[in-house]
Amino acid sequence: MNNTLLELKNISYKYKNNLILNKVNLKINSGEKIALLGKSGSGKTTLISVLNGTIKPTHGEVKLFSKSFEELDRKQKSKITTIWQDLRLIEDLSAEQNVNCGLLAENNFYFAFKNLLNISSFKKAHKYMQLCRLHNSVYDKKIGKLSGGQKQRVAIARSLIQGSNILLADEPFNNLDPKLITTIKNLLLENGDKNNTKKSPKTALVALHRLDLLNDFDKVIGIRDGKIFFNIKRNNLKKLHLDKIY
Amino acid sequence: MNKLKLNYTSLSFLPILVCIPLGYQLINNIHFGGFKLFQEFLISAFNPKIDNEIIITVIKRLNETILIGFFSWLVSIIFGAIFGIISSNIFYKIFNIPNFFYRIIRVFLTIIRSIHEVVWGIILMQIYGINFSIGIIAICIPYISLNSKVFAEQLETIDYKSFESINQINAPKFSSLLTIVWNPIINTFKNFGLYRLECSIRSTVILGLFGIGGIGTSIFLSFQTLNFRELWTYLWSLAILIILSGLIFKKIKFNTTNKILSIFFIAVFFITILFSFSYFLYFIFNNNFENFNSISSLFKSSSDLGLFDFLKIILETIILSLLSTGIAISLPPLVIGIFNNNSSKIFIKIFAFLLRLIPTPVILLTLLTFNNPSLSLAALTLGLHNAGITSKLLFTNLETQDRRNYIAMKSLGISKKTSWLLGLFSQQAKSYLAYCAYRSDIIIRETAIVGVIGSVGLGWQLQESLSSFAWQEVTIVLIAYSSIAIVGELINGKIKNSLT
Ligand SMILES: Nc1ncnc2c1ncn2[C@@H]1O[C@H](COP(=O)(O)OP(=O)(O)O)[C@@H](O)[C@H]1O
Ligand SMILES: [Mg+2]
Repeated sequence: MNNTLLELKNISYKYKNNLILNKVNLKINSGEKIALLGKSGSGKTTLISVLNGTIKPTHGEVKLFSKSFEELDRKQKSKITTIWQDLRLIEDLSAEQNVNCGLLAENNFYFAFKNLLNISSFKKAHKYMQLCRLHNSVYDKKIGKLSGGQKQRVAIARSLIQGSNILLADEPFNNLDPKLITTIKNLLLENGDKNNTKKSPKTALVALHRLDLLNDFDKVIGIRDGKIFFNIKRNNLKKLHLDKIY
Repeated sequence: MNKLKLNYTSLSFLPILVCIPLGYQLINNIHFGGFKLFQEFLISAFNPKIDNEIIITVIKRLNETILIGFFSWLVSIIFGAIFGIISSNIFYKIFNIPNFFYRIIRVFLTIIRSIHEVVWGIILMQIYGINFSIGIIAICIPYISLNSKVFAEQLETIDYKSFESINQINAPKFSSLLTIVWNPIINTFKNFGLYRLECSIRSTVILGLFGIGGIGTSIFLSFQTLNFRELWTYLWSLAILIILSGLIFKKIKFNTTNKILSIFFIAVFFITILFSFSYFLYFIFNNNFENFNSISSLFKSSSDLGLFDFLKIILETIILSLLSTGIAISLPPLVIGIFNNNSSKIFIKIFAFLLRLIPTPVILLTLLTFNNPSLSLAALTLGLHNAGITSKLLFTNLETQDRRNYIAMKSLGISKKTSWLLGLFSQQAKSYLAYCAYRSDIIIRETAIVGVIGSVGLGWQLQESLSSFAWQEVTIVLIAYSSIAIVGELINGKIKNSLT
């Protein structure tokens, strides 16, 4: 079954005369779990921003469900969710309000309004925050008052609550202690969730640095200086590959 | 010889040089005819008229002032927030609207706010006659635009990345917009919006002097009949109102997590919008525009205003602004620096309070008791009133500042005045000048008020043209006015940027 969800065709991205992505070709198929490896500054974050449509590439095409972003409606675009490396939470809102922002796409304006007034239901938000092992006391705290690890998990909860089937995660394990990393990794890849009732399997691309976490991924992509050096099944990964990108 | 070094400190004192031409003209124009009146005016301050009759009048008039002030504040703050949103970058990015419209609306708002509420008031009164709601409308027009500028400035500080992340969630656009702008809007309302109530009340008083009603009208009438004891009753009651509204502003703490309060605010918000719209429609359809027969009269009426006269008036307005700004900048640090002891400080503070309290037209009329009308006198009036405002800021900032430098310098045997200048004021100078740049925007607009009374500049010409229904002249004067104000705003924007 080779059902391509997201495809990059010959993507280049230039920023102030620096070529940050260089002729990138990439296919992400339904259900694939992909690990994205590369040094700092190799272009991982830029690649993810192109994949979710935030950055328009200088050259090349991005196709989601075989269509360009311009041709898609809002509901289709919301099939992608992103966990940003810099989190991008709204500092002045509480943790639960930020998580509820993930529900904005499937709700109307009135919901957004109630969320800001703090009179909406936070039941679903709390459920996802519990899954991310966030304690009750964190729920109504402002983002500015949380620790790095807590903020990281609020961002993860906001992303998971969207129920999108394509997850793009940019170094999501930053600031997390070892025990939490396993829990969060299982959540992101939906390994632990036995009664996963969603029709389409979860597709995920995760940028990360830790090679010991690769076990649960199907594919590994290596990027260096904005160029994809390898894109292979995890089983075929050799030290040789890693030497090329690190 | 030492070269004069230009730094922020010396720049704060240099503008006092405007006093040379100013003083020259003032001394030439001095007369002693009104000395007795002036004396009476001063003495009456300590002996205001208090009896049952006047207390009832005061309450009635204050009521009108509060009503006009409150409603114009409410409407202008709500629509200010709305216009602030639609004149901010974020709005155009979320809805993918071409930048062209962003420019258009910004220019439109700049023009609207370049014309002082008194000018709007005079024009509207000429068209519609005197009417309670004219006061509210006249204040709302420039205030909506002024407030929208402050809201928009806050919205421009939104982190672009949090906008991108909300955008990536692909929520309905209005949901994204609301979520992004919510906190900046609420915070601006808390920090700035409540303070605007005091401004609305002051503007209502000034419009009252021009006949709109309320305590301002009483102040004007009692001055006209030289009833100084009554005048001071009104002035002191106004002082109490302004102090009270200032206190309310300090005491009110908004709790945005209080649900009942939130719902109350939302209700007020929507009712105000609905009411304003329906009133606006009612206003449009129920006025027969008696004095303003048709737009064509705008082009028909001939203009007696020669180009030379017109240029002269513009020049007068610019000079008036510059002279007043000079006084407003340099007088406070000079006076505070020279009389640097505790008892003088109290005296200066009371004097500054009075300069803020007494509306500029009344200050001008008082000064006219011993000086003939002139550009310098108008400039002095406007300068003194604004010096009252800048000195309040300077006092507050100096009092909260770290005093260690000052104490250290004094202990080295440096004189008190020099230590004050180098140890205290010099650290304030930059931010003080930045505030003065903002203040001079307002001074340019206020030249209209003293112009009308002191017979100088565009304000006076406007009054003349209006009373003879020369709409073409009115239009020309307004265009000249807003050009000066817009150029001024641009220059001050540059100055502010270089200072912050
Ligand atoms: N906004 C930006 N301004 C300047 N340079 C940028 C910007 N974003 C990315 N870059 C440059 O692009 C390259 C790739 O960055 P990034 O995609 O963040 O890499 P990674 O996520 O792998 O660390 C780096 O060399 C970085 O300096
Ligand atoms: Mg990165």
